[in-house]
Amino acid sequence: MREVRFIQAINEALLEEMKRDETVFIFGECVRGGTFPHTNGLFEKFGKDRVLDTSISENAIAGAAVGAALAGYRPIAELMFSDFFLIAGDEICNKAAKWRFTHGMKLKMPIVYMASTGGYIRSDSEHSQSVESLIMHTPGLRIAIPTTPYDAKGLLKTAIRDDDPVVYLYHKLLLTKKGEIPDEEYTIPFGLADVKKEGKDVTVVAVGFMVDLSLGVANKLQERGISVEVIDPRTLEPFDIDTIVTSVKKTKRVVIVDEDTLRCGVTGEIGMQIMEKAFDYLDAPIQRVAAANCPIPAGWYLEEHVLPQPPDIAAAILKVLGKDMDISDMKKEKVGFDAVKAFGDLGITKVKQN
Amino acid sequence: MDLTKEQKIRLYTNLVRVRKLDETMVKALLTGKISTFFHSGEGQEAVGVGACSFLREDDYLFPSHRGHAISKTLIKGLPARIILAEHYGRITGCCDGVSGFHTCDMKLGIPGMSGTLGGHFPLAVGMGLAAQLRGKKQVVMVIEGEGTYARGTFHESMIMAATWKLPNLFIVENNQIMGNTPVKIIHPKDDFADLGFGYGVPAKVVDGQDVFAVHKEVQTAIDRARADEGPSLIECKTYRIQPHAVGLPDTLLGRPRTQEEIEVWRKRDPIKLAQKRLLKEGVLTQVDIEKIDGGAANEMEEADRLAWADPMPTDPKEILKKALYAE
Repeated sequence: MREVRFIQAINEALLEEMKRDETVFIFGECVRGGTFPHTNGLFEKFGKDRVLDTSISENAIAGAAVGAALAGYRPIAELMFSDFFLIAGDEICNKAAKWRFTHGMKLKMPIVYMASTGGYIRSDSEHSQSVESLIMHTPGLRIAIPTTPYDAKGLLKTAIRDDDPVVYLYHKLLLTKKGEIPDEEYTIPFGLADVKKEGKDVTVVAVGFMVDLSLGVANKLQERGISVEVIDPRTLEPFDIDTIVTSVKKTKRVVIVDEDTLRCGVTGEIGMQIMEKAFDYLDAPIQRVAAANCPIPAGWYLEEHVLPQPPDIAAAILKVLGKDMDISDMKKEKVGFDAVKAFGDLGITKVKQN
Repeated sequence: MDLTKEQKIRLYTNLVRVRKLDETMVKALLTGKISTFFHSGEGQEAVGVGACSFLREDDYLFPSHRGHAISKTLIKGLPARIILAEHYGRITGCCDGVSGFHTCDMKLGIPGMSGTLGGHFPLAVGMGLAAQLRGKKQVVMVIEGEGTYARGTFHESMIMAATWKLPNLFIVENNQIMGNTPVKIIHPKDDFADLGFGYGVPAKVVDGQDVFAVHKEVQTAIDRARADEGPSLIECKTYRIQPHAVGLPDTLLGRPRTQEEIEVWRKRDPIKLAQKRLLKEGVLTQVDIEKIDGGAANEMEEADRLAWADPMPTDPKEILKKALYAE
């Protein structure tokens, strides 16, 4: 095992898969070296035929990925911000997702759409959204949201090898996170949730960056005698409800945390699936924590009132347990995003020309 | 290069085949065999036939919805029986009857049909990129109605295709009517070919009623694409004879369309024009023409009979179980 950052794990997965299979190529805005430098070094390694910078053309990027997939390639379309998926809605949600079915299930659509996701960066309502409910809603799209370097690499390799379109979202605030990965080759199968922390009093199902916030809360509550189990679904489609049901049978209580909106967000879908599969095991109504039904503000003093916060998660856990406790030590996330600070010490930003 | 006698006869025969299939499909709609709609392409046959008759089997083709693409797909090699079977929901259709009218056959280089108009452009560019990477000199042809060339997807795709010199052909089938709106009131210029200028893409306007003229310009563009010289834009001026969809009121801007204009264009029917030329050149005789007509009629009659007799899927729910992901 060795320690790497999240962004290096992504870079390694891209490098290994492009080396393994020459039909894999990557294109999008600033992929030779971009806002998020996870694609750095690929151009120097694989050249202009397989690492292509495009103009600001989300429809063409997302659509060209469909065309290239139909012609037998395995394109990776980098869209930089998942908010931009909305621009390419026809290409991603109609063409990539539905064309295999529409045309009699004889086509293959091996595409990875990757982009950053999420907020807490004060970058406005069009660079901070979480689109997982939109993607999970759309029949025909798979969606992976890693939360550790280990998951980031393993899930991306699986995504690239999958014969169906996969949306792969990396949270901006996780890119510099460190974690261990094995030296040898590995992949992570889709539809397999990961219990990030075992516990016995309450099950927290958390999506994406919310796993980290929930683990922080869980560790603080542990000191107060509350044992929280944190489950990371890792992929929302396919979705591993069985691991969650197993946990619910043990804890009898559930809190679901997601960064997308509460209204029509994935917390509603996950909650309902638990109701359908494990209602008899529940001792209390399910609690949800998610973003307010509001655009995400760029104004620094407003964002914290819209996006889910550790105190909200702690309050929901206490509510589902029927407990009252002082949680004033739970701090809100007000980190912002400093690219220079975040990426300054990453080795992959300094790739030699050869 | 001048066309051989055989090539000229092939173009003419293809025009007649498309017309006969169009008529067969109108009849199928009116007798209830087609359960949805049919957007007849009568009078526009020369565009698809001229553009597609000499494509390679491994070239890619994205066809427009008009005539449910038959002036392109039939010519690219998709048999009439398969096209009709797909419309009839038969398992012998090119998409097992799932697609209805969105015909597709990857073996013939027909990747599918977009429901959203103008949806093909980015996909075609992606296939152009794949064709370039593969290096086998395949071309990717998009034939779309003029209305779709207003889409932003066209702009983005032209930027990409022109920058990377992709082997793409963009063919405007300008029938002058977008749904029920004359295109001249929603487009700022007379010629869609002018769009090519801004991207540095060679563009031409051609008489879309003249199958030989269409073929000549398209062949020049195909040769350019195969020589890695990049994309071309060709506008074919034609005219829609039938209403937007068969059976719908034939209106423009909420008023009945004037018959005079239709009659003017009927006089320039692509089959009549080709016939006149080939008779004059001595390539065909009146007897040949009748023989070709009879042959095409028999082909479509037989295709329709067989397609209608083909079986339906026995268990629709089994099909839906496989709907989402590759096995």
